[in-house]
Amino acid sequence: MKQRIDFRDQIVRNKRRSVFLMFSVFVILVLLGYVISLAFSPAYFFLIMIIAIIFSISYILISYYNSHKIAIASVGATKAYKDDYKQYHNLVEGLILASGLPKPELYIMHSKQINAFASGRDPQHAVVCVTEGALEKLDKNELEAVLAHELGHIASYDMRYMTLVAVMVGMVAIISQIFLRSLWFSGGGGSNDKSKAIFILIGIVLAIIAPLVVYLVQMSISRKREFVADASAVKFTRYPDGLIRALKKIKVDNTPPEKKVSKAVAPLFISNPFGGLSSTHPPIEKRIQALERM
Amino acid sequence: MLLVFWILIVVAILLIFIFFGYYNRFVLLGNRIDNSLSQINVQLKRRADLIPNLVESVKGYMKHEKAAIKAVTDARKALVGAKGVEQKVKADRKLESALKTIFAIAEGYPDLKANTNFLELQRELAATEDKIAYSRQYYNDSILTYNNLCKTFPGVLFANLYGKKAREYLQIAESEKKKIDVKF
Repeated sequence: MKQRIDFRDQIVRNKRRSVFLMFSVFVILVLLGYVISLAFSPAYFFLIMIIAIIFSISYILISYYNSHKIAIASVGATKAYKDDYKQYHNLVEGLILASGLPKPELYIMHSKQINAFASGRDPQHAVVCVTEGALEKLDKNELEAVLAHELGHIASYDMRYMTLVAVMVGMVAIISQIFLRSLWFSGGGGSNDKSKAIFILIGIVLAIIAPLVVYLVQMSISRKREFVADASAVKFTRYPDGLIRALKKIKVDNTPPEKKVSKAVAPLFISNPFGGLSSTHPPIEKRIQALERM
Repeated sequence: MLLVFWILIVVAILLIFIFFGYYNRFVLLGNRIDNSLSQINVQLKRRADLIPNLVESVKGYMKHEKAAIKAVTDARKALVGAKGVEQKVKADRKLESALKTIFAIAEGYPDLKANTNFLELQRELAATEDKIAYSRQYYNDSILTYNNLCKTFPGVLFANLYGKKAREYLQIAESEKKKIDVKF
């Protein structure tokens, strides 16, 4: 029999990277605090540094323990109850038997695109989310393959590292997205001009930083992960055709790109929600070719 | 002299860790096999439990299909009475083909096909069949991992030391391996 994928090396690597990431974010935030304290008078130095350290630690802890909730909230997904989504639940229950993972919490994203993502800090706190479009447009085998791909990310602890990067580094972009959206919709409100000007200023600054942050996120999440997750999907289902057909459907699906989703969480998805040439995902043709060789 | 002493201490500690590590790995993988075996049993039982409901909902509509219904009840009885997983899985294959007949016949009964209870059972039965296939696959995967550890160097040394032997796969005849899709 051919060599099976062993997740152990990947798990160790993903855990190590996650620790390194959290440490880097801590150092950067404290340095930021240091710079700010230099700008003020030295009298506040200790106070600002203490605040900076407390803030960094709580930022890291809160995002570590709530990363999946933040990811779910940032795309506006809701819980998929078993009574309403029987097939979705049944397929995942079959796959967890094939993979030996605990059952993740299942969510639905209200989008007509065919897409899915997994998130969470470990398999015990994992979530899987699919779009309404995926449930409607994919048949049973295709949907199963997509879900198996997501469970592959969970089994290898990809989703811990990917979610942490998306949430910790991408927070600026997520906030900027929410900010711009609220500015867009609340335009012409009765608030006074001065506070409005400040808000617009903050919005502009965030909007300038956001693409840089998104770029950082994309660079630190390797595109190789998608190939590995595709391979583990086949390991679970023993049926490469399902995933091949699903990827082909995703490729020809011409639902317009998602506007409500922050670009920072894009690498989490099985295919880029913004379509077009992407640096976050390998080209679908390459993935299909790799699958056809299995 | 002192240096040699310390080196020996370090080597001894390392060795102890390796011995413990291998022992734990054997136990862990062995438990995984046992656990996946019980998963197969859970799914088979769930399947057997669904049958009486199905028979109940079908009976009223299929007055002239006594033989097909009897085949299903008999297959269920065989499944419940079967000893050992291999026998149970075989009985489940029989049950599956009996069910296929029932579902094929049901195609000719529009009233039955419109019955939500029946449709629900049909879907559940198909789902449990998938789950059985998956838990069997995981069972064999777990055995593969375990046997690889038992048979490759240096695991083979520890396997002999701890008296761990390679385990048997769940054998299913090649023709039965294909997943049977219940027709809708």
